[in-house]
Amino acid sequence: MFYSKLKKYVFLLALILPFYAHHAQADINVFACEPEWAALTRALGGDHVTVTSATTALQDPHYIQARPSLIARMRRADLLVCTGADLEVGWLPLLLRKSGNNAVQPGQTGYFMAADYVALLEKPAVLDRSLGDIHAAGNPHFHLDPERLLKVSIALAETLAKVDPANQAEYQKNLATFTQQWQQATQEWQQRSQPLRSRRVVVSHNSWVYLESWLGLNQVATLEPKPGIPASSAHLSKVLTSLNQNPADMVLYASYQSDKPARWLTEKTAIPAVALPLSPSADETLFEWFDRLINQLLSVNG
Amino acid sequence: MSLDGLDLSILGPAFIAGLLVLATHVPLGQEVLKRGIIFIDLAIAQIAGLGVILAWRFGWEAHGWEVQLAALSAALVGALVLSWMEKKWGQHQEALIGITFILAATASILLLANNPHGGDSLKDLLVGQILWITWGQLLPTALVTGFILGLLFFLCQKLGGIGFYVLFALAVTSSVQLVGVYLVFASLIIPALGSLGRTNALLIGFVIGALGYGSGLIVSSLFDLPSGAVIVWSIAVVALVVAFFKPRG
Repeated sequence: MFYSKLKKYVFLLALILPFYAHHAQADINVFACEPEWAALTRALGGDHVTVTSATTALQDPHYIQARPSLIARMRRADLLVCTGADLEVGWLPLLLRKSGNNAVQPGQTGYFMAADYVALLEKPAVLDRSLGDIHAAGNPHFHLDPERLLKVSIALAETLAKVDPANQAEYQKNLATFTQQWQQATQEWQQRSQPLRSRRVVVSHNSWVYLESWLGLNQVATLEPKPGIPASSAHLSKVLTSLNQNPADMVLYASYQSDKPARWLTEKTAIPAVALPLSPSADETLFEWFDRLINQLLSVNG
Repeated sequence: MSLDGLDLSILGPAFIAGLLVLATHVPLGQEVLKRGIIFIDLAIAQIAGLGVILAWRFGWEAHGWEVQLAALSAALVGALVLSWMEKKWGQHQEALIGITFILAATASILLLANNPHGGDSLKDLLVGQILWITWGQLLPTALVTGFILGLLFFLCQKLGGIGFYVLFALAVTSSVQLVGVYLVFASLIIPALGSLGRTNALLIGFVIGALGYGSGLIVSSLFDLPSGAVIVWSIAVVALVVAFFKPRG
């Protein structure tokens, strides 16, 4: 009787344990807000980190639904890696408060906001709410610029070493490898993307300024009259008239967004629409993701 | 499946919030069913949201109690208008409530045409995220719940048309910000409908609601799904099961 009961508990334990054992292997748990920071942390942390990402490439990082596991994962985190610059302002403060995890609260070593380590574009001189969904700190989509990403990686390696001093040497070594490979890859991307220089693009939301300035693209119109505000008919007809006089080469939109506005424009003007991944997918490295970005851009401008 | 989120300190506040909402919404729901005005909670919630946007429009960028005041006064005005309409055109009340709902909803879109941040606050007010609730937030809710319950049970005979609408506005304005409009609708209508015609309908309604919230939170943890939506479904399933085992006669 007793043994059969015991057997049952052991069986139950065996069912449950893999979930915990999985987390016990690495030295630190990292909670990333977006997949690009999860990928970067994996590149720098190697076997010493277990990384989870709150959002996937197919989600809008501005807004997420509360799930129990998010709170549980935040509670276990030793390090929080996010974009900052108000990108996650709609949910991160709530999640942090609810988690009650002191190690990752603002001001602690475990609280890493990538935006603190780079200069942002489009920082408004005056903050006026009538201008739309403008981020006071500047445009937060800077992970699309390889040079800014490299700056973030240096700061992140330092933070990893502070959170987990035992493996400091390892993180520095990984950073050196990553830097060397990243610089080499950046050069190659620069060369391959030569045909894209001064191409004229229309974007649906203003999330591509860093990519444009890096690749030398020329943004001629935005489908949203102001960031975050759906296009009105008056604005669309204005865009259409200017494009008819002065055509663009492609329409860019993020793959998590609806393709309706871009398709509408393609139908009217025959300008090809390109859906770009704003973030890497779950198991993709940053290298693979940037490769994919460039390939997709070249596919319509080859 | 994952046991990660199965933690009392994560799910506890959400469950207690659910019980507090149920405490007022089950009896109010029975009244709503009796009067045949099912969509009144959507209308009131939307009007409360409109009040917040209006307050913002007039320039007071408010957080905390000012927002509550704006939401509540708008909801009260809406409730008084609805109760007046019921007296005047009683037989069309359901249609009028529907029209009030879309007018309030589209008025907020027009007021927000140039401001996406206002849209965020409207979304917060309407969708609400039950999991973000902390113990600290539950105290004011408990006070409001106690106040409404007191009025409901001591004045239930004297509670006329206006009294019901005012009480309803108070209850919905407080609950909709806590758990969101879907859960408010579910807590109001499903337990009341599932316990319809039973001898102790109120008790059965509470049990349906509590089981729904409890099992919904557990299922949402196990399968890592958004909690609010899962709870709506689990309340419906529990109500179906209870209605299925209804004693004949």
